[in-house]
Amino acid sequence: MAAKKVTVVISQGQGKNPVQRQLEEEIAAALIMQPDVDVSLVPHLYDMSGDHTGLLFLRSVPGNLVVLSWLYPRAARWTLARQGVCGHEGVTLLKSEDEDDEELETESDETQEARGIGSRDVPNRKLYFLDLRGHATAEPYLDEIRRIADEQSVQTIDLMQWISGKPKAEQLERYLHPERLLSTGAANGNGNGQESSPTNGNGQSDVPEPVKRRWYPVIDYSRCTNCMECIDFCLFGVYGVDSLDTILVEQQDNCKKGCPACSRVCPENAIMFPGHKTPAIAGADGEIAGLKIDLSKLFGAPDGLAAAVAERDVELVADGRDAVGMTVGIPKRQSTKPPQQRDELDDLMDSLDNVVL
Amino acid sequence: MTDSLTFMMGKYEARIPLDRSYSENHLWLQRCDDRFRVGFTAYSVRLLQDVYFLDWSIDAGTDVKQRKEIGEIESSKALSSLYAPYDGRVLDFNESLLDDPSAINTDNYGQGWLFHFQTEAPLLEPQQYIELLEGGWEETQRLLKGQMN
Repeated sequence: MAAKKVTVVISQGQGKNPVQRQLEEEIAAALIMQPDVDVSLVPHLYDMSGDHTGLLFLRSVPGNLVVLSWLYPRAARWTLARQGVCGHEGVTLLKSEDEDDEELETESDETQEARGIGSRDVPNRKLYFLDLRGHATAEPYLDEIRRIADEQSVQTIDLMQWISGKPKAEQLERYLHPERLLSTGAANGNGNGQESSPTNGNGQSDVPEPVKRRWYPVIDYSRCTNCMECIDFCLFGVYGVDSLDTILVEQQDNCKKGCPACSRVCPENAIMFPGHKTPAIAGADGEIAGLKIDLSKLFGAPDGLAAAVAERDVELVADGRDAVGMTVGIPKRQSTKPPQQRDELDDLMDSLDNVVL
Repeated sequence: MTDSLTFMMGKYEARIPLDRSYSENHLWLQRCDDRFRVGFTAYSVRLLQDVYFLDWSIDAGTDVKQRKEIGEIESSKALSSLYAPYDGRVLDFNESLLDDPSAINTDNYGQGWLFHFQTEAPLLEPQQYIELLEGGWEETQRLLKGQMN
């Protein structure tokens, strides 16, 4: 055992979309043949409960990790961090297909300073997140994984730790017989029109357990400033604080499916709902990701706070409670701002606010 | 070509013709008989760039409130919902765009019109729309850069 293996985890899509499944299987099938790669399939990262075997496996990986998922990399990263799978961000050279450099002329160019509180106890290893929505074919992913595998030095410390540790039986099984992982999946990938079974496997222990779809906020601690506006705004008890008074998602299943209101009130855009249709809420990295911008606001969408208040009221009423409108937990961020001279833009914004919806 | 005003978006000249009215959500409205023909302004189209797909979520003949969501548009640069410009009624849509929306890019003030609309609301004059663009340009750039929600 001289060379260090890179662990690749493919997180499956939420639905049974055959196109998604085929891409997952193609990548997995190709990687199984690769000696320096250890590949595993797990259900959708966001949907796995804390004690799911897929997550237990992810937590047990000691070294560098490549995660392929149908999520924005930022969303995948913080979803896993929340489950105790942390590491430094590995730089991926993979770009999405329609990414190009053309940008509208913009004047100011301040770089965002890191204001977030960060996360604690980040182990010294790298996590790479690849977004499976970026390419339709397996090849770009395989190339990138090979590049990452080559990049790994031959240091064996992490692997030795793993070996001298006590790998679980299923982990060892995965390591020794990776080919079993996909035996059924590969057969289904031959375009015989057969529906993939929901478990995508042969009933062995390393087959991903089915999971239910979930809905909860994911906090990006590189952006979060612990301002507590989310905990003030959400009236469903989703948020809490830990022993050091750091905000956290405490009761995730109290969260109301489809409601992204707290994400809209977050002044740092630190709260993600990976399943939301708006890229900014789902964890897109703005222009860097080369993904599509949302011009809805320009075309007359209600502003974020109004939308958040309306969404919260809908959920309150659905729970048999009273709508509270703007009376509870409205961001106080304006109160700390020094008063500024009114200008035309203020007048314009006020005239927009006065428009009756 | 009709007379028009110009708004500079960086180096791009967005043409705002004088022969029609405008809305705050970057649509033009041109009266024909008892109705208005509605389309995207050059400002909208420059931000959208190549339009790939247009879809309406309401039926023709529907009464709408201002800012009611009425459809969706996908372009090379953006994926956005579309909203009613004023209180009024959406009478019918430009059917030819549903198969091929490219006229939005090639002729946004003509063949690329979106729908017919009836409204009693006071509309923006070209000069007022220009002022609105001037006032909102910084904000728009911030929207593009930061994707604030």
